[in-house]
Amino acid sequence: MFPPWLAGGLVYASALSLTAGGITLLYITTRTFNFAHAGMATFGFYITYIFYSFRGGNLYQYLPLSFLFGSLLGIICYIGLNRPLLRRQASIVTLMMSTLGYDLILLSIIQMLCDYLSYTFKLYPRRVTMSAYDFKMFGTSAASIISPIIAITILTLLHLFLTRTKFGTSMRATIENPILASASGINSDKVYLMSWVIGGGMAALGGAVMSLTMTGTPVMGMTLIAQMFAGAILGGLESIYGGILGGFIVGLAEYVGIYYLAVMVGPWVLGYRMALPLLIMVITLLLFPRGLAGIQWSYLMKSIKRARKGVKS
Amino acid sequence: MRNIGDVLKQNLMKREVIISLVILLVLTYLAISYGLSIIFSTIIIFSIFSIVTLSLNLEVGHTGISQFGRVIAVIAGAFVVGAIPGRILAFLYGLPFGLEYADDSVNYKVVPLIHKILEKNIALALGFFLFCLVLAGLSGALIGWLTSRPAIRLSEAYLGISLLAFGDFFMWVGHNWEPLVGGTTAVFIPDPFRIVWGYRMQAVAFTFLAIAVLVYLFIERITKSPFGRTLKMLRDSPLVSRVYGKNIVKIRTQSLVIGSAIAAIGGALYVIYTGTCTAIGFTRLTWTFWPWAYMMLGGIGSNIGMVLGVLVLTVLRTLIILYRKSVFGFLLLWGIDPIWLEYTLLGLVIIFIVLFMPYGLVPEKTETVLPSGRIKAILESVRKQSSQTPENGLKSSLRLKK
Amino acid sequence: MLNIKNLYSGYIKLKILFDINLEVPTREITVVVGPNGAGKTTLLNSIMGIATVFAGEIILDGIRLKNAPPYKVAQLGISYVPQMGNVFADLTLRENLMMAGYMLSKEELKNKTDQVLDMFPVLKGFIQRKAGTLSGGERRMLAIAMGLMRKPKVMLLDELSTDLAPLITKRVMESIARLRDELGITILLVEQMAKRALEIGDKAYLLVSGEIKYSGKASDLLHHPELSKLYLGIKEVE
Repeated sequence: MFPPWLAGGLVYASALSLTAGGITLLYITTRTFNFAHAGMATFGFYITYIFYSFRGGNLYQYLPLSFLFGSLLGIICYIGLNRPLLRRQASIVTLMMSTLGYDLILLSIIQMLCDYLSYTFKLYPRRVTMSAYDFKMFGTSAASIISPIIAITILTLLHLFLTRTKFGTSMRATIENPILASASGINSDKVYLMSWVIGGGMAALGGAVMSLTMTGTPVMGMTLIAQMFAGAILGGLESIYGGILGGFIVGLAEYVGIYYLAVMVGPWVLGYRMALPLLIMVITLLLFPRGLAGIQWSYLMKSIKRARKGVKS
Repeated sequence: MRNIGDVLKQNLMKREVIISLVILLVLTYLAISYGLSIIFSTIIIFSIFSIVTLSLNLEVGHTGISQFGRVIAVIAGAFVVGAIPGRILAFLYGLPFGLEYADDSVNYKVVPLIHKILEKNIALALGFFLFCLVLAGLSGALIGWLTSRPAIRLSEAYLGISLLAFGDFFMWVGHNWEPLVGGTTAVFIPDPFRIVWGYRMQAVAFTFLAIAVLVYLFIERITKSPFGRTLKMLRDSPLVSRVYGKNIVKIRTQSLVIGSAIAAIGGALYVIYTGTCTAIGFTRLTWTFWPWAYMMLGGIGSNIGMVLGVLVLTVLRTLIILYRKSVFGFLLLWGIDPIWLEYTLLGLVIIFIVLFMPYGLVPEKTETVLPSGRIKAILESVRKQSSQTPENGLKSSLRLKK
Repeated sequence: MLNIKNLYSGYIKLKILFDINLEVPTREITVVVGPNGAGKTTLLNSIMGIATVFAGEIILDGIRLKNAPPYKVAQLGISYVPQMGNVFADLTLRENLMMAGYMLSKEELKNKTDQVLDMFPVLKGFIQRKAGTLSGGERRMLAIAMGLMRKPKVMLLDELSTDLAPLITKRVMESIARLRDELGITILLVEQMAKRALEIGDKAYLLVSGEIKYSGKASDLLHHPELSKLYLGIKEVE
């Protein structure tokens, strides 16, 4: 159904959309740029890998476990680190540095976990190709179909949560005007906790999905953190939907873009694939600082509708 | 707010002295147990990272720029030294110097030939060394200027992330573009210290320490000068600075140029010490995050604190490396290599500082322009004056509002 | 009902209020007037826990409120209608009212919403629209409606008359007076347009540069020959 380069690209882009969405959520609620997203994503991958290695079966059934573990990591980060700093009204840079410290600890735990797994269980956790355990579906890898579906499902669930539930609406209120929300009786603590639960979960889920196309390594998250941020920045750091869309675009542009460049000029370009998300990020920051969120979607929609009507009559 | 008396008291360096003494004791103990070479290598690493961290402090602590791309300037210095000076010498002495210089099959033959030349000619070796430093400084300055372009338009965290991403990018370029510094196989750096034969460690340690001291003095001079005070004003109240006619763009650019030049020198020193230049070794972890940790531990904005931070953490890291087998050897029972604890340490240090010591070991002091003796004299004379005036008259103009 | 003693407050390190002593008696309208930048909003923010209290006491019916987070203060029955950022622009009107009545049960929410919309029938037509699309006056009405959703004991109103035509200001003040008379709400009213506020107020305080310069009956301040001209720009009083 999809040529292999597109199949891989869809998985890669879906994974980035999940992680970028998580980063955006955490930023718009707690003003924290979550560096630990790297570690959480890597952990998500390893949770799926470990469960699959020991229990076998369909690897997709373990993805929800990754999400839950990511949420747990997020909760720990919030209670131990983020909340005390928020109460002190720490600066954005301080918040970012604190998540960096947390990420380093996560990284060290992952490395030690890998040591333990290879020594005790004779596994090879430092270079894992999960795609080998995937199955085929409609002539292409199952991952290329399921990953976008996962991304869209999460997007939909988030949307319903945020618009149809009282708590979700209170999250939107807190994001827009935290002071008014608090003065209305909304407990911001619960809102922030929930954003870490969701954000951490999305990070871990993204990492697990990413491993379906990329080689799983202990530093997988660390290598990709710049792309995750690029996606969030493209999204505009104003709405989660922007982040999800931004992550998807950055992922697809990088994966497909570098493939085409390699075909045109030669495989030596592959080493420089980082340049593409970097370019997108720089262009967004310098020319369109509000990113995708800056585009007036309602205005765009109306213009399209008007154009259609004009064509018809 | 405290009054002048408290400020003057605080400027005494009690805390720093105690910490330095403790460190000295630890170093003495290490020297006795493991021999002097440990001390020398610690001094070398300490000097290099002091230089890099001081440069970071200039940009972050004094100017308020979120410099998460420190590795870029370090790479600039290191790569330039890896790519150019060796080639120049090769050219001068009829050896291959073009793109093939960095090719691993060529490079490892060419460099020892260069060494034979450097061994005999002390003037050449000295000139080579100084040339490397100057070249590094210039390329660092250039990088600093280039970095200042986005630094003007982006703020805080956005700038930090962009610089971080650029740092990664340059590392990958060096890693992939072979003619530059050998890509994955590294390039050897001709060693100007060959002259001193058996005493290389000592010579390097002494030289690097001297350079670090010079850098420290230079930065102290800058930060205590009117330029330094302008930097602080810019950092704390950019609006007020504009009102006073200070050109924010120009000053930030200057700060970045100087800072990056210094950091590049640090990078150059590192590759000269190790004798090789491997792109993949310039990770953001080592050259951006560790310096940030040193800086945060020391106290952002304080130069002496910086040095202290580097000292404390370098010694801690050395201790971990030395004792990892004995103290943490039990981890090997489960096949776990204790070396990962270095990351855990860094993470814990950062978290600890952020939560419990946000101002570091040496909090930034209120700067006094005049020496403390003169200030005390002025206080005395004003107090005498105001006690002689009528009740509803002058209030002491030096009484700071609570 | 609300007692403020020796309050020193501000924002992080910035000091704004100095030694404020203030009483808001139950079922009365207490007016705080003063020139721009006097610290009137900071006073309300200090009660709500938005500003930082450095020293002093804020006591609501015997409960100490020093530096309690805003949502706790709200849960104790104090309803805050700020001057700016007083509605959630991205949320619909209905959602705004739902957020204002966050602590109410589903039934209470429905009843209160109906009640409040009856008070402000203009809003009924916009119930599904985003609050950001409303005009300034309509937003003000929504903000007051939101303030009422919580069956408050005390309402803190910040400069409700700003940007309103004088006739409408008169009407707004009259409805505030009705809140006191008909619903028994204690009101702390901060205003720059002093005249109208003092006309409906019971007690008044004059706040200048972070300090209380006058406290007493509202009518006395209104007719005070010097202060009313000096600080409030009141030229004539009928």
